[in-house]
Amino acid sequence: MAAPRASEMVATPTDGYPTATSSLQSDTEITIKSHLPSSGTPQIALQKKSHFEFLLRNLRQGLPERYTSQDASQPWLIYWTLHGFSILGAGLDDQTKKRTIETLLALQHPDGGFAGGPGQAAHLLPTYAAICAFAVVGRPGEGGGWDAIDRNKMYNFFMSLKQADGSFLVSHHGEVDVRGIYCLLVVATLLNLITPELLAGVPDFLATCQTYEGGFGNASFPGWAFGSDDTEATTPLSSPRDPTAPRPPLGEAHGGYTFCATASWVLLQPFIKLYHPPVPGNPLPEPKINTRALLRWCVQMQGLPIELGGFKGRTNKLVDGCYSWWVGGCVVLVETLLGLAAPHIAAGEEPADEHDEDSAKAWDDADDSLFNRRALQEYILCAGQHPAGGLRDKPPKPADAYHTLYCAAGLAAAQHRVVPSKAREKAVLLTWDPVQAHAKSGATYVSPSDVERETFEELRKQMFAHALSWSEEEGTTTYVGGAANRVNAAHPIFNLTITHADGILAHFYGQMPPSRYPPRGKK
Amino acid sequence: MSDLLADDSEWADVVPIRQYENVNPIAPIFYSEEYKDATDYFRGVVKTGEMSPRVLKLTERVIRMNPAHYTAWQHRYKTVMALQVSLEDELELMDEIATMFLKTYQVWHHRRLILTALNSVDAAARELVFLKTVLENDSKNYHTWSYRQWILVHFNDEERLWAGERPYVEELLEEDVRNNSAWHHRFFVVFSSGVRAGDEDREQTLRRELSFAKEKIALAPNNLSAWNYLRGALEHTHTPFTTVTAFVEPYTASEPPATDVVDLDNPLPSAGAQLPCVAALEFLADIYEEEGGEKTAKAVEIWKLLANEKDTMRKKYWEHRIRDALQKA
Ligand SMILES: [Zn+2]
Repeated sequence: MAAPRASEMVATPTDGYPTATSSLQSDTEITIKSHLPSSGTPQIALQKKSHFEFLLRNLRQGLPERYTSQDASQPWLIYWTLHGFSILGAGLDDQTKKRTIETLLALQHPDGGFAGGPGQAAHLLPTYAAICAFAVVGRPGEGGGWDAIDRNKMYNFFMSLKQADGSFLVSHHGEVDVRGIYCLLVVATLLNLITPELLAGVPDFLATCQTYEGGFGNASFPGWAFGSDDTEATTPLSSPRDPTAPRPPLGEAHGGYTFCATASWVLLQPFIKLYHPPVPGNPLPEPKINTRALLRWCVQMQGLPIELGGFKGRTNKLVDGCYSWWVGGCVVLVETLLGLAAPHIAAGEEPADEHDEDSAKAWDDADDSLFNRRALQEYILCAGQHPAGGLRDKPPKPADAYHTLYCAAGLAAAQHRVVPSKAREKAVLLTWDPVQAHAKSGATYVSPSDVERETFEELRKQMFAHALSWSEEEGTTTYVGGAANRVNAAHPIFNLTITHADGILAHFYGQMPPSRYPPRGKK
Repeated sequence: MSDLLADDSEWADVVPIRQYENVNPIAPIFYSEEYKDATDYFRGVVKTGEMSPRVLKLTERVIRMNPAHYTAWQHRYKTVMALQVSLEDELELMDEIATMFLKTYQVWHHRRLILTALNSVDAAARELVFLKTVLENDSKNYHTWSYRQWILVHFNDEERLWAGERPYVEELLEEDVRNNSAWHHRFFVVFSSGVRAGDEDREQTLRRELSFAKEKIALAPNNLSAWNYLRGALEHTHTPFTTVTAFVEPYTASEPPATDVVDLDNPLPSAGAQLPCVAALEFLADIYEEEGGEKTAKAVEIWKLLANEKDTMRKKYWEHRIRDALQKA
């Protein structure tokens, strides 16, 4: 699949009927197309050095006044910058780590959770960003940050946000939306805070956010099914009063929400299987999403060759570098749900015995991804890089910390195929220590019966093993512009490097999973 | 500028709290003096839990400099409720702030909290009018649309709220048939949120929606929003795709058919249409796949055409569809 030449690029058809949308689209196509190098096939380099310098400037010198709009997102600025370094392949010095840990701890709210800045209220989004930043810079023990996270209070904070329909407010007096759910689920998974009471109703809520287009909107309306949608009322949690009432999605299908809902859905798979078994008479019907429609929506968001294969966030909107991660990175999650992501050989593994002849061999190339990985890399390299360093939405926009990370992570998702590995999962389960995992839980939750306790233990085990099972599929990396453009792979659910995800998970579950890279003979 | 709270005797009794004590923060933001000053005092009143008229002023000051300061909104909301200030006045102030900061979540959420507390259909109806003016300037603003949808379901008044929505969508699509937010809104009104007054005959409603979508497709056939609506309407009502085969086929040809016969049910592509239309090819393949049997081969043929010629960006996806269909066949 060679990159198309500029002359072969067909503009999005306007059918002789221009409107505001199509005019903006046409203008954008002209700008983007002009960023394709004249050589045609882009041998364009990832300007790692200037991106490092951009990030380093933010970190050391600080951020200019226009970043005041992100004053309530300080952990995000930290996470974007530090994880950006990790993806681009740079380590951090101890002094930077120490300063970061001290900064993050100043954001912990006395009543649990993390805030956007010191003295601000706790909020699910900065909590995610802070915990992910801790995964990058922290470690166990004195001064390492991890053990200074008050998980017990955090759990209570989470529970205080829970709504009758299974959703969560993002903060006290805040709104409900699927970004908050994603952030909460990631943090609860990483920190060993998962309980059945925390997850109750979450899958059903997520399912109601899927729109007719296949992607997800930002929330849904619970009022008809639950008698009220007053998020300010202290309604006791209850089961649906009217399971037949509509719970309409609010907001159209959107890349950011679609990623959050899909990643949450993948995380929740063990919960759905253990707590909603599809048996007759089961009071909890299995919540369902339309995975085929979801896949279709995701791949439809990839722009045409004239847009260099960047991703859009909504139908008939413009491509934007950050959707490289939100939508491009979502495709492998959907493939996983469809059972299409079984790896041939994950890194460090022996080839599986049960080699599936007919399904695997229909392909003459190793790339099973259902989106165009090469084209996405071309978009990020040609249109996403700002000449002065940092990455961006699209030309001629300036670079910023947010787009630098999500373009870099999108590039990672396009270069590496990271999928759940059965073999890795098995290896992790072999060393599973349930006593430690239970002892290390940060949640105050007591199972009402022995049977339920067993199910809960099984849930914790499966969620841990699944989180650790994501592995890079060997022989499927693709580097547009050559191997010098390589960036590190990102965990498709957490958006951390695999190493950082492994490290923080092992700590908070008290586990010692086997190494991913067993020594393979002598060097 | 001596506009600082630090120089204002009204604030002399409040102890300002600096953001970072004893921490040399990483990635610090270079705030203006005014912002630093206001947020220092804001942290001060949050700590003491003060809810007073001057706190209303202070939160407004912070919000105007940084509308994404969710804690300022949160504290403002608590103060509004505690002081029992006029909710109408609060909404009016918000009109100006919302117009300035359209893209901010908190702006819309605060309105929602106020409107919930106000609990008045009159206010909700006025709100829909206000949102119209907002959408005039930014017709795809996500939060505005999501908020509009919430007003409709929360207050749920057929005559005063719902009744104007379908005509409104038609107006917007008249202006820009590619506005996906408007299409989504139509689906929300007609299908996702139950049955509107007058729409009780669901077969009739579906017929109306199908012809609406078809007409819009005919106008600009390469408009994914309209095709997605057509698909959505059929799927939502469990109607087989085959019911629209006759409509779809002309859009898959390279040339519009030469005919004088006007079939109102199946409008033909406009004169300017660029054919064949990829979305129509996809649709026809889905129809064939649904029919199954020997039609599967025809679906495969279309997917091959899409993969290798008409929509090469999605080659991998179309090849997946082929594998998937053959596996099921
Ligand atoms: Zn963006």
